[in-house]
Amino acid sequence: MAATRRLQKELQDLRTNGVRAFRDISVDESNILYWQGLIVPENAPYNKGAFKIEINFPAEYPFKPPKINFKTKIYHPNIDEKGQVCLPIISAENWKPATKTDQVIQALVALVNDPEPEHPLRADLAEEYVKDRRKFFKNAEEFTRKHSEKRPAD
Amino acid sequence: MKESMHVNWNLVKENMSADDQDSECEIEDEDYDNYYLSNEEELELADYKKDPESFQYECLKVEEVEKLLNELVELLSMEIRAFIKVTPSLAKLLLHTLGWSINEIVCMFRADAHGTLVTAKVKPANNNVPKPLMSHQPPSLNNNNPMCPVCYAHQPVEYFKALACGHLFCKECWSSHFEVQVIEGVSTTIGCMGQDCIVLAPEDFVLALINKPNIREKYQRFAFRDYVKSHPQLRFCPGPNCDIIVRSKEPMAKNVVCHQCKSRFCFKCGTDYHAPTDCETIKRWLTKCADDSETANYISAHTKDCPKCHICIEKNGGCNHMQCYNCKHDFCWMCLGDWKSHGSEYYECSRYKENPNIAYESVHAQAREALKKYLHYYERWENHSKSLRLEEQTLKRIKDRIEVKVMESSGTWIDWQYLIDAANLLAKCRYTLKYTYPYAYYMESGPRKELFEYQQAQLEAEIENLSWKIERAETTDRGDLQNQMDIAEKRRSILLKDFLEV
Repeated sequence: MAATRRLQKELQDLRTNGVRAFRDISVDESNILYWQGLIVPENAPYNKGAFKIEINFPAEYPFKPPKINFKTKIYHPNIDEKGQVCLPIISAENWKPATKTDQVIQALVALVNDPEPEHPLRADLAEEYVKDRRKFFKNAEEFTRKHSEKRPAD
Repeated sequence: MKESMHVNWNLVKENMSADDQDSECEIEDEDYDNYYLSNEEELELADYKKDPESFQYECLKVEEVEKLLNELVELLSMEIRAFIKVTPSLAKLLLHTLGWSINEIVCMFRADAHGTLVTAKVKPANNNVPKPLMSHQPPSLNNNNPMCPVCYAHQPVEYFKALACGHLFCKECWSSHFEVQVIEGVSTTIGCMGQDCIVLAPEDFVLALINKPNIREKYQRFAFRDYVKSHPQLRFCPGPNCDIIVRSKEPMAKNVVCHQCKSRFCFKCGTDYHAPTDCETIKRWLTKCADDSETANYISAHTKDCPKCHICIEKNGGCNHMQCYNCKHDFCWMCLGDWKSHGSEYYECSRYKENPNIAYESVHAQAREALKKYLHYYERWENHSKSLRLEEQTLKRIKDRIEVKVMESSGTWIDWQYLIDAANLLAKCRYTLKYTYPYAYYMESGPRKELFEYQQAQLEAEIENLSWKIERAETTDRGDLQNQMDIAEKRRSILLKDFLEV
C-alpha cells in the first residue's frame, strides 16, 4: 500500500524533474517494484557510454531499502562482475525510510563518477586505480567502449 | 627424578606444617598459604584475592536484572535532575548509550549537558532544527493536512509524531518502521526515519506506537538483551537454554561457574574459561584451529617438499618415483634421495632415516616447520580436550568401582568419597593443562617460555601420576593419593600464579 503510493509519486517526480545522469526509466505497469534505467556518467573514463541498471524495491518499501544491480558490465572498483554495487545509503543498517530514490540515484551516480577505492568490491581494480591511474583509465575506457550502452542523444 | 622426589617431600612437610602449625617448618612463601585447599568453594572462602582465578560474582535471574536496571534508571534520573528532567525511558537510553556508569554520566552532564544529549543520540547535533514539515514537503501544501514524507499520504496534523529532532512522520509509518526493525532483530538502535538523522527512539516512544503484542514482546526482549550486553558488569550465561545473567563488580577474565547450568566460562569474553591464556589469544587460537586444522593435517600427512627446489608436493598416486612439477627433479618419495641412485631396487631404499633433510631453509621448509610447531601444540590441546570429554565416563567407572568395593565390605561409601574428589581435581588440572598449550604456542622463545614449558611439563607429569593413581586406588592408598592431589593442584596454582595476568 505505502510502497505503491510512494513509488508512483517518486516515479512521477523523477520523470518530470528529469535527472540528466539517470534516463530512460522504464517501469512495468503490473509491477511498480521493479524499475530499469540508464546511468549516464559525466566523468572519464565512463563518459563514453551508458550503463543499464535495475532497481528492486522490496514489498516493505520504504521501510526496507531497494536493491540496485548493474545490467551492463562496467570496469569499476565498487561494482563487481555480477553487477552488484556497494552503496552505503541503501545498506540495511544505514537505511532511512525518508530517503528518496532520487537521493539514492544521486549517490549511485556520484559513486560511478568518482570510485571509492577505500572500500572496494573488486580489490584488483581498486589497487590499479590507486597505483596506476593512467592504466586504470585506459583499461576502463576500453572496457566501456566494448561493453557499455549507447549514450542517449541530448 | 631425584628432584621430583625432593619436591614431594617438601610438599608433604609443608602440608603437615600448615595443618599443625609447626613453627619449625615455618612457611616462607605466603603463596603457600592455601595450596592444600583443593576445592574451589574453600578457595573462595580462604582468600579470593590471593588466588588468581577466583573472584566474586553472582548469578541473577532476568527479573533481578530488570530490577537492577530499573534502580539504575531511577538513580540516574535523580542525579541529573538539576540538569534535565528525564522520563525513565530516556534515562535508560542515556545509560545504554553512555555506558551505565552513573558517576561518569553525571560528570558529562556537569561539563556539557547539551553535548551529552547529542553524544547519547537523544538530540540532534544541530540545535536549531528548522520547521521539519516544511523541509520535507513540497511548498504548495497547507499545514493542516500535511504529507508524511515516508508514505506520501496526507493526514491531519494530530496523526504526526516526532522524536526530539522534530522530524514528523505519521503514526502508521512509525509503527511500520518499528515492526520491520524489530523483525530484523533491531531494538535499542531504532532511530528517526529522517535521512541523515541519528536520533534514537526511547522505549516508551517505540512501545506506544507498536500495535502487535508479539512485536512489543520481541522488542522488549531484544532491548533487554542489548542492555545486558552493553553493561560491563553483566554477562549472559552461555549455557544452552540457560537464562542466568552473571554479575560481577570487577569485570575481568575470570572463571565463572553458572549456579544453574554449571557452565564454566570466562566472565570477560563468555567463551570457555581459558586460564592461563588471555581472551584475545584464545580467540586467535580457536579461530586458527577452526581455519587451519584440517588443511594443516592434510598437508602434513600428504605432502613433502621437493629435495631440490623445496616446493611443496602432494603425492597423488601410488608410485614412489616422483618428478617435481616445478624443477623436474626425479626423486624417491620414501627417502627423498635422488632417483638415479635407486635403479629398480627402490624397495630396499634404506636411506630414509639417515637423511635428515631439514637442513634447507626454503620458504616451504619454513612453512612446514611452522606447521609442525602448530600441530605439536594442537595435538596436545586436542588430546586433553578428548581426555576431558572422557572424564564423565571415568567418573562413572569410579562410582561403579566404589559400589563394588562397598559390596565387598572393603570400606564404607563415605570412606570412598575422596576418590570422587580426586577425579574432580584431576579434571580441573587437566582443564588448565589444556589451556596452557595455546598460551605456549603464542609465547616468544626465551627464558620465560622455557620456565613456562618447564612448569607445564611438571604439571603434566603430576597429572599423569594422579590419573594413574586414581585408576588403581585402593583404600589403603588414600594418603598417597591425597598427597598426589595436593602436588598436582600445587603445580597448577603455581603455574597460574606465575603466568596468569589479570
